[in-house]
Amino acid sequence: MKEKLLNIEIVSPSKPIFKGEVKSITLPGTEGNFQVLYNHAAILSSLSIGIIKIEDANGNKRKLATSGGSVEVKNNSVVVLANSAEFEDEIDKNRANKSKERAEERLKNKLSNDIDVKRAELSLARAINRLKISK
Amino acid sequence: MATLREIKQRISGVKSTQKITKAMKMVAASRLRRAQENIIKARPYAQKISEVLSDLVSSTSDMQIPYFKKVENAEKIAIIGITADRGLCGSFNVNIIKAIENEIQQKYSNQNTVGNVSLFLIGKKGFEYFNRRNYKIDEKHLGIFSDLKFEFAERFITNLSNRFINAEFDKVILISNEFKSVMQQNLVIKQILPITSVSTESTKTEITDYIYEPEKQKILQTLIPSYLNSQIWKALLESYASELGARMTAMDQATENASEMINGLQLKYNKARQASITKEIIEIVSGANALS
Repeated sequence: MKEKLLNIEIVSPSKPIFKGEVKSITLPGTEGNFQVLYNHAAILSSLSIGIIKIEDANGNKRKLATSGGSVEVKNNSVVVLANSAEFEDEIDKNRANKSKERAEERLKNKLSNDIDVKRAELSLARAINRLKISK
Repeated sequence: MATLREIKQRISGVKSTQKITKAMKMVAASRLRRAQENIIKARPYAQKISEVLSDLVSSTSDMQIPYFKKVENAEKIAIIGITADRGLCGSFNVNIIKAIENEIQQKYSNQNTVGNVSLFLIGKKGFEYFNRRNYKIDEKHLGIFSDLKFEFAERFITNLSNRFINAEFDKVILISNEFKSVMQQNLVIKQILPITSVSTESTKTEITDYIYEPEKQKILQTLIPSYLNSQIWKALLESYASELGARMTAMDQATENASEMINGLQLKYNKARQASITKEIIEIVSGANALS
């Protein structure tokens, strides 16, 4: 029996991240996490900052930190258009820590501008997300 | 006639110029390789997002999205022009500058006279040209190519599309060089906003019935900015690779010309040397003849 696998492709604007066949992929949708298995209905969803989990044909699990994007699922092919995505072993812990500190600093100093606050919050969320899976 | 010393000096001058052009060619070549790799890396994303978006757009009939808002008789025009920061790359910069000027004069001369054509210039060469000629320059970005970052493209186009949504502009046009091959660049004039059609390389027409999560409108709101980002990013990468390609070709040509020049000068030098020897011999012989 042929195994039922999904074709997935994770791409970011600056480079392709991953391409291959997997059993399942779990994605951080803006409306909540969801898992895609073989024969999933066609779906188009946006992603928030979070963790993508993939399980390959041999049952090996890998995690990626993403900072949002979109995903298209159709005919058992999954295309993740991530703003950025890094495998757990590729994350630069120092850099994430630094950007976390920087964002916290900025938030503490009570910025006057709404946009700056929002930006700092987002960058903090991204940094925390990266640190979460890099352990 | 030039003296031997003068010719010799010119030869060594041309030789040192040739060394410089050769070095510039090598530098451009090695940078070009990296720039080409970047283009290849950025391609999958650009292609996929166009596919997804064109699927979505073709199945959306109600265009209540500001990015698609078309204005009849567009009055306020924004033109993005991408040139290089440095010269010595053949007609690379001139082509862009000419294209921008033509576009303004032919299509938007009325708007320009009332000051409704705003230029967004990336690259020093374009800025220098238009700054001298009293065009309305809205934004300038100099020296970004040496350390090209995606965040730059993101910030640039987000800012611009927000202004488009706020009706500060009716139309946004991009004029840049597209990388065809090392020897060849294609000039492209593309309308960025409003989005008229999303072009894809594949020509599939089947419309998939998606589940949308959240609803279609919201997904489009996140997809379109990403799409615009990748468009600008691609344009920047392509322009940079084209610049390096153009410089490489130009410097290669210059090195070759220098070789030719050196050959010519060497010949002249040899002839002059021969002539002076002949002259001396004649003098000696005629001197000896006079004595006898």
